[in-house]
Amino acid sequence: MHELSLVQNLFAQLEELLRQNNAEKILTVKVEIGPFAGVVIDSFEFAFAVMRDYESWANGAKLILTTPKPRYQCLCGHIQERDKLEPGVCELCGDDFLTPVSGGNDIVLQQVEME
Amino acid sequence: MCDVCGCGSHDHDHSHSHPHDQNHDHTHDHNHDHDHNHKSKTVDVETSLFATNNALADTNREDFREDGLVAINLISSPGSGKTTLLEHTIDALKGEINIGVIEGDIETERDAERIRAKGVPTIQLTTGGACHLDAAMVHKGYRRLCKEKGGGDIQLLFIENVGNLVCPASFDIGEDERVVLVSVPEGPDKPAKYPKAFSSSQTFVITKCDLLPYFDFKCEDALHDAKKINPHLRTMELCSTTGEGMDAWLSYLRELVKKFAVAE
Repeated sequence: MHELSLVQNLFAQLEELLRQNNAEKILTVKVEIGPFAGVVIDSFEFAFAVMRDYESWANGAKLILTTPKPRYQCLCGHIQERDKLEPGVCELCGDDFLTPVSGGNDIVLQQVEME
Repeated sequence: MCDVCGCGSHDHDHSHSHPHDQNHDHTHDHNHDHDHNHKSKTVDVETSLFATNNALADTNREDFREDGLVAINLISSPGSGKTTLLEHTIDALKGEINIGVIEGDIETERDAERIRAKGVPTIQLTTGGACHLDAAMVHKGYRRLCKEKGGGDIQLLFIENVGNLVCPASFDIGEDERVVLVSVPEGPDKPAKYPKAFSSSQTFVITKCDLLPYFDFKCEDALHDAKKINPHLRTMELCSTTGEGMDAWLSYLRELVKKFAVAE
């Protein structure tokens, strides 16, 4: 439910970038959403579509989202990548106490194409 | 919609196809093709969407340090007993530790009125629909709280977040300690269903333990799931109204005040 406020934050950054670069229009926006960010991708995209129509300088802008796979560390030190969000068990020692490796809960504006 | 965040079954690949569908249907896409004739510029940014919030959260933390207090962010579902725990905590620590409270709710002053009746400085933040408190709201709220009677002498600041296990977990509000609560009637599967609230917290409190005989709630199950997500999590089981388990909670608070609230 906070996806809209996140996208509003994104648009504030985009507007600032336009000003800094003397550009008029946003063409492409690349955003990485960490697997533990707690963001509903569909809602994020929906909020982006709403905001894009609302701001003339963003009309037609394309959103490219990437979501890296979650990585977990076992108490034994082993780090494994998972296709699912659940940690599963350690591939090496079989332990089921696995912690998400830090960095996966951020949402990062990576790159912007503008003109 | 919000409940989907923590479930772990979201199909990212599937959802990726949506923006393309939208673009194809959208008339703006034609503009986009046209735009390619102009000179475009690509800028690498690499900034977090939480950057503004996190910077303000750090400012809040600095304010708390300067004022010599420790701030606790209470997160739980609606009705898990956050306000009741606060009422009993205030009674138990009266005359020993100066407590202040920032209440977060979507609507009404009700929680603030309950806490104010206990005689401690309290302000209510009504988000008017937003499902979480952010650093900016807490910043403004703390300014207001400082102006309340006794607001300048606070040693222990409770920030009771909006009742919601999903969104508050994503927003640093400048707290020193994050406490997540689950009450017995809610069921033991909350840690498994809402992992972020538990991975980002330091302490997990199970409340309303007097109801354990009447519910199919095994504390071990909830604690095991929570520890799986966050092995460093401190855990407590208590009942605010009967006082059971409150001693551990109170000594935890005393330790925190000792640790953080010394700087003058």
